[in-house]
Amino acid sequence: MVKQSKRRRVLPGFGLSMGYTVIYLSLIVLIPIAVLFLKATTISLAEFWETITDERVVASYKLTFYTSFVAAMVNVLFGTLIAWVLVRYDFVGKRFVDALVDLPFALPTAVAGIALTAIYAPNGWIGQYFEAAGVKIAYTQYGIMIALTFIGLPFVVRSVQPVLQELDQQYEEAAATLGANSAQIFFKIIFPAIFPAVLTGFGLAFARALGEYGSVVFISGNMPMKTEIVPLLIITKLEQYNYGGAAAIAAVMLVISFLLLFLINFWQWRTARKHQVT
Amino acid sequence: MGITITGVTKKFGAYPAVKDINLEIPTGDFVALLGPSGSGKTTLLRLIAGLEGLDTGSIIFNGVDFSFKNVKERKVGFVFQHYALFKHMTIFENVAFGLKVRPRKLRPSRSEIKDKVLELLRLVQLEHLADRYPSQLSGGQRQRIALARALAVEPEVLLLDEPFGALDAKVRQELRHWLREIHRKLNITTVFVTHDQEEALEMADTVVVMNHGKIEQIGSPAEVYERPANAFVYSFLGRVNEFRGAALYNDVAIARDSAVEAVGYIRPHEIGLSRFSNGVGIPAEASHVNAVGSTVRVVLKRLDTEDYFEAELTSGNFRELGPFHKGDILYADFTNIVVFEAITDSEHSKEREKVTVGAFSAFT
Amino acid sequence: MIAREHVHLKSPGASRFALAPIKKWLLIGTALGFLGIFILIPLIAVFTEALKKGIELYFAAITEPDALSAIKLTLITAAIAVPLNTIFGVIAAWGIAKFNFKGKNILITLIDIPFAVSPVIAGLVFVLLYGSNGVLGPFIEANNLKIIFSVPGIVLATTFVTFPFVVRELIPIMQEQGTEEEQAAITLGASGWQMFFRVTLPNIKWGLLYGVILCNARAMGEFGAVSVVSGHIRGLTNTLPLHVEILYNEYNFTASFAVASLLALLALLTLVFKSFLEWKTKK
Repeated sequence: MVKQSKRRRVLPGFGLSMGYTVIYLSLIVLIPIAVLFLKATTISLAEFWETITDERVVASYKLTFYTSFVAAMVNVLFGTLIAWVLVRYDFVGKRFVDALVDLPFALPTAVAGIALTAIYAPNGWIGQYFEAAGVKIAYTQYGIMIALTFIGLPFVVRSVQPVLQELDQQYEEAAATLGANSAQIFFKIIFPAIFPAVLTGFGLAFARALGEYGSVVFISGNMPMKTEIVPLLIITKLEQYNYGGAAAIAAVMLVISFLLLFLINFWQWRTARKHQVT
Repeated sequence: MGITITGVTKKFGAYPAVKDINLEIPTGDFVALLGPSGSGKTTLLRLIAGLEGLDTGSIIFNGVDFSFKNVKERKVGFVFQHYALFKHMTIFENVAFGLKVRPRKLRPSRSEIKDKVLELLRLVQLEHLADRYPSQLSGGQRQRIALARALAVEPEVLLLDEPFGALDAKVRQELRHWLREIHRKLNITTVFVTHDQEEALEMADTVVVMNHGKIEQIGSPAEVYERPANAFVYSFLGRVNEFRGAALYNDVAIARDSAVEAVGYIRPHEIGLSRFSNGVGIPAEASHVNAVGSTVRVVLKRLDTEDYFEAELTSGNFRELGPFHKGDILYADFTNIVVFEAITDSEHSKEREKVTVGAFSAFT
Repeated sequence: MIAREHVHLKSPGASRFALAPIKKWLLIGTALGFLGIFILIPLIAVFTEALKKGIELYFAAITEPDALSAIKLTLITAAIAVPLNTIFGVIAAWGIAKFNFKGKNILITLIDIPFAVSPVIAGLVFVLLYGSNGVLGPFIEANNLKIIFSVPGIVLATTFVTFPFVVRELIPIMQEQGTEEEQAAITLGASGWQMFFRVTLPNIKWGLLYGVILCNARAMGEFGAVSVVSGHIRGLTNTLPLHVEILYNEYNFTASFAVASLLALLALLTLVFKSFLEWKTKK
């Protein structure tokens, strides 16, 4: 400890910064989160287990994970493509398109929710054509997937785009001079380079989709067992003054979200460190 | 201002960056801290500046203990390796910064600041760039502005971290003369860090050779070059050939059964070459001859041990000898070889090997 | 460019480059098509639906008292939450980016938590903490305070949700800038505040503004978290997004989209400003 005090830092403000950071972080984030876990323990273990294994709750977990996964996969596919097009090609209006990618970040989720519902409702701009073909989008799982795709898209694009930008075309040219065809170049040169970023983008989009509420609640129809997502179920419990139940369901979701967050951050540090070495 | 450094040690975590440093810098001296990367020279410079806190020992400025005084109180001018010019300020504002941040009572008036800044810009010959931003300047110009900025606060000690490290050879050469000139004019105690032995020997009054956090030798350029204290200093200051084992025992008469391993060094230009054996020469075959410029560099292979070594002779001597070619046999005279006790510390010998290999690879 | 073409022509796969323009436009077409359907059409839909029944109804919808009070509450909420998180962001980023210490990565992950937490859960934690059945419920009632179903709850939930925006924007920028300029300022005799305001702040100002813009967009648009804590009391605890929901659930679609169009405009403004800042910092 004596040694510690001797080790003076040249730049000022470290103590102030850390003190303020820890206090503010605790007040706004950590303590409230801790209270949730505390509340979840106020009900007995049996009750807790019963709550989270209730048929309706399990159905909503399944639905939430399934639709989030599908949406994140769609985003991986199209997000990577969009990143590629934005980095590698020039076309009129590219700046506009690039800015537009961030719209889901900037547009309030409720607005996205009602707009998507209007479009995909049976009489909506796009919904009417599907309706004619006998396919319902709004008020079904497909509607949820569309909303989750909307809000997750920027995560993949913005993860992959900078990596593609940094990727030196010399590697591709080197591969081409060595006789690789374009499919080989993509799968052996480009894809390995962008894979960590794609995975990060997937993780972020997936994590965001799991917790999404605003854009989904309008388009999903909210039918128990069928189109009821977890966040909605939490609100339902809350409206029934079932605080313990709401806390129990939320605690499970939180643990999963934290695991995802740690995985993503760990993955990013790992790839960042790998890049530093080379 | 004189600086006395006594028993200074600094660790980063478990890694000792400098170990028990003792150094006396007289007022007005121009000192080079010379060493390979990781030798602790930059850490020592930052300790003097107060940019790092020391673990043990003391740093005394003119009899006053500054060990625990903060950077501000030390009145040092520090020139950073990458200059650290403020990107968002003009050159004028950069140089004026140190004067403008003074407490109101001590702050010079606007016009005084302006005069002072312009005077400094004249000193570094960049008056015409006052309104430019750092990004619009060349590396050499940035270096000069960084110096002007450091001088603006009228420091009693000027500290420079690898001042010419990031510059190309020609600019570096110019700035060396220029910095000496500034030192002559202002006579501020100046300490600079470098890994370039040529730079240290050419510019400094005193050279402090460092390795692995310790001082290996302190002396004038002539002293450290002519009378190196140990194997490290010898091999670090200039190109060397290293001989050990059989090769060494063939060259000099030393007891083979000596308890400590010996190692011999000889600089390329100290090797005598002749066409004929005159009793002392070791036969060697020329494997590469580079006769460009005023010096001729030759790589030879000893016929006795098959070791390669490098010799250097003036073009005059080369002509005198009768120009020779690859494959010719010559006789090498190693009488000037200097023998040191080999350093047993594995870390040290590794470092030294790197240095000698470097000297050769630059050539071949 | 010329050199690159040269390599391509010489490469063994030269024939495939005859296909390149078609492939290129196919890729661009797919990407733009996807963006058009998923992003552009919803945006257009908001404005079309809002103006469907004429400009008069549009203005009536956004100037009725409940709408105005929602606008007011949204502005108040952002005016508290954004500065709080901005101050925190600058202070925290200073410590995290400019110093080395153990547990830095853990601290960053803790700061990220609000990004990973569902907005609904963000609202729920404050209900569990400050609600009448909450941990602090008795204390709050005893002191005649009101947090949940009231403005303080909305501000708290919004602050939680927008917590990491500024700090996460600043950390990489400050890290990249290193500490040399600050050290130079200190060796030149600057005090801590002088160093901060004259050297650090000018260097991060665009990044800071960027973070503030994003933080503000989210603060004004937050729905889930605010929905849980607000109690949906018209004219009192309704923010703009909540007002959109109420109107929508009353089948008052045109008015709902009219209010939503205000938020969409805010989003567009944010994007324009964001693009401008990106262009400015790239320069």
